[in-house]
Order: sequence, then structure tokens, then C-alpha cells
Amino acid sequence: MSSAKKRSGGVPLATPGMFDKILVANRGEIAVRVIKACREMGIRTVAVYSEADARSLHVRLADEALPIGPAPASESYLDKGRIIDAARRAGAQAIHPGYGFLAENADFARLCEDEKVVFIGPNSKALALVGDKVRARRAMEAAGVPTIPGMNSVSRSADEFRTAARALGYPVMVKASAGGGGKGMRIVREEAGLAPAVEAGMREAQSAFGDDSVYLEKYIDEPRHVEFQVLADNHGATVHLFERECSIQRRHQKILEETPSTALGPELRSKMGETAVRAMRAAGYNNAGTVEFLLDQEGRFYFLEVNARLQVEHPITELVVGIDLVRQQILAAAGAPLRLQQEDLGQRGHAIECRIYAEDPKAHFLPSAGRIVLLRDPKGPGVRFDSGIFEGWEVPVHYDPILAKLIVWAEDREAACRRMAAALDDCVILGIRTTAGFLKDVVNHPEFRAGRTTTAFIEKHLSAWPTGAGEEERRRLALAAAAYDSLSPAAPAAGAPARGAKQESATPWTTLGRWRAGEQG
Amino acid sequence: MSAVELDFLIDGEPRRVGVEKGEKTTTFRDGPDVLEAEVRRVSGHELLFSYGGRTVRAHLARDGGRVFVSVEGREFVITEPQPGTGRTLDGDARTPEGGLRVKSPMPGKVNKLAVGLGDSVRKNQTLVIVEAMKMENEIQSPAAGVVKTIHVSVGEFVDAERQLVEVEPLKSSVGGGAHDD
Repeated sequence: MSSAKKRSGGVPLATPGMFDKILVANRGEIAVRVIKACREMGIRTVAVYSEADARSLHVRLADEALPIGPAPASESYLDKGRIIDAARRAGAQAIHPGYGFLAENADFARLCEDEKVVFIGPNSKALALVGDKVRARRAMEAAGVPTIPGMNSVSRSADEFRTAARALGYPVMVKASAGGGGKGMRIVREEAGLAPAVEAGMREAQSAFGDDSVYLEKYIDEPRHVEFQVLADNHGATVHLFERECSIQRRHQKILEETPSTALGPELRSKMGETAVRAMRAAGYNNAGTVEFLLDQEGRFYFLEVNARLQVEHPITELVVGIDLVRQQILAAAGAPLRLQQEDLGQRGHAIECRIYAEDPKAHFLPSAGRIVLLRDPKGPGVRFDSGIFEGWEVPVHYDPILAKLIVWAEDREAACRRMAAALDDCVILGIRTTAGFLKDVVNHPEFRAGRTTTAFIEKHLSAWPTGAGEEERRRLALAAAAYDSLSPAAPAAGAPARGAKQESATPWTTLGRWRAGEQG
Repeated sequence: MSAVELDFLIDGEPRRVGVEKGEKTTTFRDGPDVLEAEVRRVSGHELLFSYGGRTVRAHLARDGGRVFVSVEGREFVITEPQPGTGRTLDGDARTPEGGLRVKSPMPGKVNKLAVGLGDSVRKNQTLVIVEAMKMENEIQSPAAGVVKTIHVSVGEFVDAERQLVEVEPLKSSVGGGAHDD
């Protein structure tokens, strides 16, 4: 078969540089998401995997899969040489980095450029600029983008931190220069807490990013976290795809996002959007990226950082704006000119995303590893489930604990909240602790329904979770279910392994048998 | 069918459930609380409880000795205690000498030992930092006392429930109960 035939489906014929094969340098739900977009575009995919991921979903779905080393990310998903080598061996012309791992690593982007493999993301120069928070701040200030007061350089001196903190006034925030995802961040409310927070921030930054540089910023109490999606081609065209409100966070990490934001009117929205485009132009940015802002209670907004990659929460933008962001990323990386005009873009309806993490919300969101013994995907109108898991899969302890993302779209916010609550009920993941039940209480909370979302929401309203009268009733029902199941077990089908046998999986055969058991149970 | 009583641990808490199957409904007794519901099994992993004009769905799956149950998005882990196996709720939280065993709540890597042997510690003082899934988790002392034993070293991978440190609680609080905070 000629290569021209292989790449016919879905790809505009006017994209001469379109890829035959893309290597996905990631794992989990985002690798699955990228593989699916490639398949739709008629592009073959190469998965890479560590020893801990040999059975993972992305490995199963890709056209080819190459092992790249042992479980620790530093020896596999973060090993630039091995990934480039895998791309060369597989004959991939481009690498999609997903989010996390090497997605915002300017050295890796530069290595790709040197090796003539297209990095599906911004150019290495822009990436280096926005990836260095301190340099990015300076560039933004020069471009007239408002920033939060803070240190203009990193430091290692306890004295410098103390002096800077006094000048800014407590509370201050310790932030990792190479940071993102809440790692390395600490709030400090008084001087006694400064040194330990700096030390912990440095250690966490070192382990997460391989760079222990931290700096201080003024901490804004109860702000909203509002970010703007930007898309830019390789020829200078840049548009924004409106905002995402990401205020609901735990450990400074987003757990629920929605769009549109209840805090923005048309005027503020267009002002922030224009600022986001200006910020990206100032950075010489191309491909998809996100400009994060803090919005204070008076409606003032401050540049926070650029997320120079596809965001975890990109699907809510896709649903409300009607754009496939991964497809746009691939088209832009192949050199296609952007076909979107700012004035043609609009928001329709309301979308919410809930991040399903392998974490125990009852125990300070501690990671919860283990085997998924039962999985029921939520389905239905306006429901999307981006997942990297399957029944019987063992959640590895080595990586970020995100399992899946549940995204809903509905005509308005109220309908979207109701749809999300119902979809979370349908999202059954047994065997490990997840954030699903907690997130249902977030979307059902009267303060959330009223649109009063700030980054302090969880601490303020749900720190004692779970509470409420329904809790004891659910516990009783759970006990009743266990008791009923013990006394009237589902009848195993003929030929199925006996109850208590090691491999109890739901094959079509056992399911049929159980249905037949019907009312007896 | 006559009444049957079953003992369970639900998220570590012991509970006894009485079950009586009637013609149409099943009655569950849990202490003073009584639930009379029509139970319908819709699949091997799904039960529907109808009572008081509403219907609630429970999903459940067994793995080893554990039953995982989800009700309205809430997950519970239920175990059936085996008599004679010595499985106790929190019985090994203390050593025979009264020392407190501080365990890792999850599998991960020991990033830092924040205390040394013989150090005096306050309640909730950080003893060990365990990194799991790229997050640092501070493992704190359950009581004021003295660090008696350290079982792990920096860089070591630990399983969940692995003992990290033993803390000998202060004796001053023995008479008056928990005054160690």
C-alpha cells in the first residue's frame, strides 16, 4: 500500500507536511486521547512504555509499542535519548508529549529540532522562556501583562527569602521555578514557617522537575483560577478559545474545571482573552498553550504562568467551542495555517470536567494504589469519559495518580451540574479509592451551584468530608449489599471459575449466567 | 428463611448485620436501625434496593477477602473477619511494651527522615516524608513522645502498612488520658 493511501482519512489534503506516524511520549488517559486523534486522522501511532506499564491501555491501543526502560520515570518517560531513539527506530516523524513528563522540557524540544523529529508543541525557544517562571514574568511585564508581585529571581539564601517575604508581606507563596501541577508550592503565613517551606519546596521541585530553584510570590487570598486556551500556528496567527475556570483545587492542584466561568462578563472575558493572546505573542509561542491568570475578588487579574502544552482539562474547551485541540495541535505542528478566526469563535452551552484520581479524599487525598476489580464507564448524552484504565489493571505507584476524566456538556450550568452528578453515580471504579464520590459532593454543593468557586473552596466547605445525613444511610446500604451478596451470591455460569477462585472476571459467559439467575437472587 | 447474623468490618469499623428474608422484601438490622427493602439483583455486580419510595443502586465486587461496595458514588471496603485468624482492627498499632508503631499509609519511597533516634517529638510532628505518585506525604507522630526505633532509611521503597518508626509515648499523660496535644 502506498503511503499516500494510508494517510487519506480526515487530514486536509492541503497539509503537505502531514505525518505518517507519531510517537506518543506519554502514558495513561492522555496517551489514549492522542492515539485516538491520530487514528481519526489516519496517522499511525507508536506507544512507549516503562516496565510498570507493559499491560497499560495506551500500549494496547497503539499500532506499535516500544519498551523504554524501568518503572521510575527518570529512566523511562523522562529519558530524552531513549524516546528520540524509539522515534527513530519506529520511523515516527513527530512526537506528541502529552502533558507532564517531557511536555514542557525545552531541552527535549531542542533535541527534537536537532534530530529533525517534529515536537508537537511550542518551539524550544518559546518553551524555554515560558518554562522559566522568573524570565516569563519579566517578559510579561515588558509586554504590559499584569503580574503578581514577587521575587524577580530565584535564590538559595535564607536571608534573601526572609527579606523578600518581609517586603512582599505575609502570606507569601513558595513556587518552583520549573513548576506546575502544584508541585513545590507552599503557602507561608508567618516567618517561622518560611525556611521549612522553602526547603520542602526545593526538595519537591528537585524530585518532580530535576531542578530545585524556588522563588516567592505574594499570596492572594481566595482568588479564582481562570485560564485561557490559546492556539497559534507556525506562521504568526494566534487566537484564544476562551476561558476555563479551574478554581476547585486540592493541594494547589485542579480537580474540577468548567467553562464558561461564572465570574466573567463579556467585557472582562474579551479583555483577558486579548491579554492571553498578547502574552503568547510576546513569548514567540506556537501550537496550543494556556495562559493562567489569578482573578481576585475585585475582578483584577494577574498573569500566573503559561502551560506550554495540552492541558489535562482541554476537553471542556473542545465541547464548548467545538474544536478538537489535539487535531489542531497536530495540524499546526505539520505546518498547516490556522483556519480559525477570532471573530468566528464562540462558546455554546456549559462543560464541566471532574478528574478521577486514585486518591483517598477521606485521608487528605493520599494516593491509593491497587487493582481495579470493577469498572463501569459512565455513558449517555453529553457525557465523555477520557480514561487510561480497564478492569483488572493494577494502578502503578510510580506516576501521577490520574485515572480518568469525566467530562459533561449541557445547555447551561445547572443542567451540566445535574448531568455531572448523575454521571459520577454511574462512574463505578472499585478496588481502589478515587475522588469520584467527593467530586459529586462538590457539584451538588449549594456554594458551587451558586457559582461561588474560589481556590479555597475545598478547604472552606469540604474539609470535613464526608459529612451529612446521607452518609450513614449509604454505609448501611453498603453493609446490606455485602450481606445480601454473601447470602445469595450471583450464580456462576456453567464452565466459569468457581466463586473464590483467583480469576473472577466478568466474561460474557458469566454475565449471561448471572442474568439468567435473575429474580432468584 | 430465618434471620442470619453476619459480622463485618466496614472501612475498619466492626458492624453486625442481621438479615431476614421475607416473601417480597428483605429486612436488614444494623444495631437499632432497620432497613426493609425489596432487593433486586440486576447483574453479578449490581443490586437495586427499593424502599420508602426510592431506589438505590449498589455495585459490588469481591477481591480476595474484601468486598468493595459503591453506593451513590461512595466506596466502602468491607471485610468479613475470619474467626481465629487474629485479624484485629487496630491491635498492632502498639507494641507489647506500649510503643506506637507509625506505618506508611501507602506504598512509596522514603524521601526524608525528619527525626533521629532518641529525639523528642510533639504530637503531629513530621517524622518521615514518603513520596508516592510524585507527591510528598508527611507522616506525623500520633502522640508526643520519644523516637525509639527507626525501621527505614532514605531512598528505601516501602509498602503500605510498613512500619516506619516506633514512638514511645510520654508517660505523663497515662493517668489523665489523651492530653498529649
